[in-house]
Amino acid sequence: MRFKASVSVLAAGLVAGALLADPTLAAEGKLVLYTSQPNTDAQQTIDAFKAKHPKVDISFVRDGTPRVMAKLRAEFEAGAPQADLLLIADAVTMEGLKKEDRLLAHEKADLSAYPAGIHDPAKFWFATKLITTGIVYNTKAPMKPTSWLDLAKPEAKNLLAMPSPLNSGAAMIHTITLTNNLPTGWAFYEALKSNGALAAGANGDILRQVATGEKLYGMIVDFMPIREKAKGAPVEFVFPSEGVSAVSEPVAILKTSKNPEAAKAFVDFLLSKEGQDLALKQGYVAAHPDVALPAGYPARTAIKLMPFDAAKALADEASARKRFSAIFE
Amino acid sequence: MTLAAQSPWPDARPALPWRRLSLPAGLGLPALVTLCAIVLGGLPFLRLAVAAFAPGWQFAPEAALAEIGSRAAINATLHTLETAGLSAIGALLIGGTAAILLGVTDVRGKRPIAFALVFSMMIAPQVAALAFLSLFAPHSPILALFGLSPAPGTPNPLLGRGGIALVMALHHAPLVAITLWTGLRSVPHSLIEAAQMEGAGPATIVGRILLPVLRPQIIAAALLAFVAGIGNFGIPALLGLPVNYLTLPTLIYRRLSSFGPAGLPDAAALSILVGLVAALGIAAGMLATRRAGGKVEIERPLEPFWTLGRARPFVTGALLLLLAIKLGLPFLALLAEALTPALGVALTWQSVTFDKFAEVLLRQDVTVRAFRNSFLFAGSAALILAFASIAFAYALERRMGKLRRVVEVVIELPYALPGVVLAIACILMFLKPLPLLGVSIYATPFIILFAYLARFLPLALKAPLAAMAQIEAHHEEAAKLDGVTLWQMLRFIVAPILAPAAAVSALMVFLVAFNELTVSALLWSSGTETLGVVLFSLKEAGLAGEAAAVALSASAVILAAMLALDGAARRLPANVLPWRI
Repeated sequence: MRFKASVSVLAAGLVAGALLADPTLAAEGKLVLYTSQPNTDAQQTIDAFKAKHPKVDISFVRDGTPRVMAKLRAEFEAGAPQADLLLIADAVTMEGLKKEDRLLAHEKADLSAYPAGIHDPAKFWFATKLITTGIVYNTKAPMKPTSWLDLAKPEAKNLLAMPSPLNSGAAMIHTITLTNNLPTGWAFYEALKSNGALAAGANGDILRQVATGEKLYGMIVDFMPIREKAKGAPVEFVFPSEGVSAVSEPVAILKTSKNPEAAKAFVDFLLSKEGQDLALKQGYVAAHPDVALPAGYPARTAIKLMPFDAAKALADEASARKRFSAIFE
Repeated sequence: MTLAAQSPWPDARPALPWRRLSLPAGLGLPALVTLCAIVLGGLPFLRLAVAAFAPGWQFAPEAALAEIGSRAAINATLHTLETAGLSAIGALLIGGTAAILLGVTDVRGKRPIAFALVFSMMIAPQVAALAFLSLFAPHSPILALFGLSPAPGTPNPLLGRGGIALVMALHHAPLVAITLWTGLRSVPHSLIEAAQMEGAGPATIVGRILLPVLRPQIIAAALLAFVAGIGNFGIPALLGLPVNYLTLPTLIYRRLSSFGPAGLPDAAALSILVGLVAALGIAAGMLATRRAGGKVEIERPLEPFWTLGRARPFVTGALLLLLAIKLGLPFLALLAEALTPALGVALTWQSVTFDKFAEVLLRQDVTVRAFRNSFLFAGSAALILAFASIAFAYALERRMGKLRRVVEVVIELPYALPGVVLAIACILMFLKPLPLLGVSIYATPFIILFAYLARFLPLALKAPLAAMAQIEAHHEEAAKLDGVTLWQMLRFIVAPILAPAAAVSALMVFLVAFNELTVSALLWSSGTETLGVVLFSLKEAGLAGEAAAVALSASAVILAAMLALDGAARRLPANVLPWRI
């Protein structure tokens, strides 16, 4: 296996040398992608990339971000990371890896279509989508929340569920964004705690609890309740007036990649209009500003994003974790 | 891999000449068993210890010691001890009572009840926990039926220590029952007849004769339930995390999901605590077995001797109620999720849909591949472990002396570790090519097989080991006088005696491994995904209905397989199917 890989890397090198002028043609050989995308989505992404670059033999490993990272960390510890590419939920993890010098910059990535501030300015990681966190409520609920602050009202007493930032990367970013942007800061979470809010599990659990009426309100990523509502579930998703937090499902190339040229081709593909249209087809909000939004979403301009700084979030993460534990434990 | 894959079963094959040359007679088998124990249990644990105390092979124990001594870790250790201990007692009471009732009384519908109890091992712990959680939740349809629905927002009474212990006790009860049944089979009926002639009533016979004779099995079963309780992740994750009642596996998961590079060493450090807790349980088991149980000679196996009379319908009813709770509830919950178009939609004749089954079974080829993979992995692990358990039971019980306890603790470690930690240990061990061979088993099916062998060896070993402890050694001694080789001894004397227990082991390993998630979650690669991985993926993507459809299909496959076995029972050796009592 190792032998075959090195042969193909060698071959890729030779071809790259021959065709220096056109990097997309040079893309071939083996690629391994570690991703937290759902299986079906990951397969579609791979298939679309293969259609464009038939010479690249790309395979993927999929799991939730914490498990993907646990696997990768174990591989770091053993001294032989297997992945060439990483496509996971949040940018904070990417910032951490960048700081540990695990990532490879893709200087030539074409970001002209994107507004500034979505991607890493140093071009170590690139946003591929926007997955926002807002409010979900059961249609039987007496109150229709429109603001984050509504969740601290007596109507929501003991009826709110949210994913725990101690378990979910997206929830951690949500917590940091919310406490940085709401005027009340951490006092908001203290109010939620005294209002009997439950912080546990991942987004799928929140959907189940709210849809079945075990809880009536929840904080959740957008696509789950929007998809489930389309299937007839008694849930409604709200983009609160203060704005929503977002994770960007960033992609990055690992420094240890044995096939950086093909890996760059994969990143270029994800960032291209074609790759971004695929995100729309899968029902997500693409990062590319010219791509339309899936059915069930408001117009792109109507979605207000709260500002978020991944590098700062990485620095704040430990204290946010401690703060959160102190309130909810 | 050669070492790891071959070591569990070499004694099921003719002894090779070199083996007889390399070790003095009588030491070969113990040495091999010790070697297997070290490879399967010791190495993964040691590799974790290195990751904890010397991350990157630089000795730096401070962080690990701080983590082990932290308040969170100490609390989690206490919680693990509490829940594992309480649930083991509960499992022993529930599973033990059920086993004895089915084994010695004339209760109605024995075989179907026993069959259903074995089948209920198919239910994954997180599914069971979720079903119980919704039973007591404000929206519970069953509570509503009795007009007992709590107001929305009422905290669920199952959250926390009591709920975890209860659900785990129910979950591990079949393990206990099956282990005890294998013991009941080796109780001679003449013992009962003798007591009856003395005028002893059935309750006295159970209390004064049966239970003391079953001592090795009772202790083995309690230990099994205890260690399974330590390593269980699904139940405390659902019932403990929401109220911040953390056990070691959930705390480890939390550490792993932290963003930073400290996650791995922290998790490894906490794994050392898991090992300590497991060793504590095993030490308690050793204290209990110090007074060895009596050895017996099987002539005529035990027959039911307790005529229940008027209590018969009540006992039958109680057993059926247990099944309804243990098997019926989770299945109803799964059915409701799989057949409705979306979460929260009431299940009616209008809303019922088979789309989810069609989607996972017909449209996604990954599901079918996962069925095949899980069948292969669980099946090979079950087969290999069944054969290995015969050699292990013989070696541990008859040949190892004092060393036995140490080897047993080492074997037990991978079963007590949370699956995800065992998986990390496997990655650390096997990522680099194996020494001497130069090939890496990473990202091949063999790494999953190795992990299954390591994890489920203790599960496979319990019944044969207890059976071996109960049986008089004079057949073996007679054979030894005749000068048999080790292979002949195992093949013609020990294997026939232990065959029923080993078959039960194979079945238990298969049922548990088929649905296993936590170990394979980190070890699969494209093409080797297991059923648990597919289930978890669907669930994480918010597709609970599709996940339920996969779980139900998996149960249907197992049900069909068990029914086929049952149908073929007449052609199988006697006593290999635990539910045919």
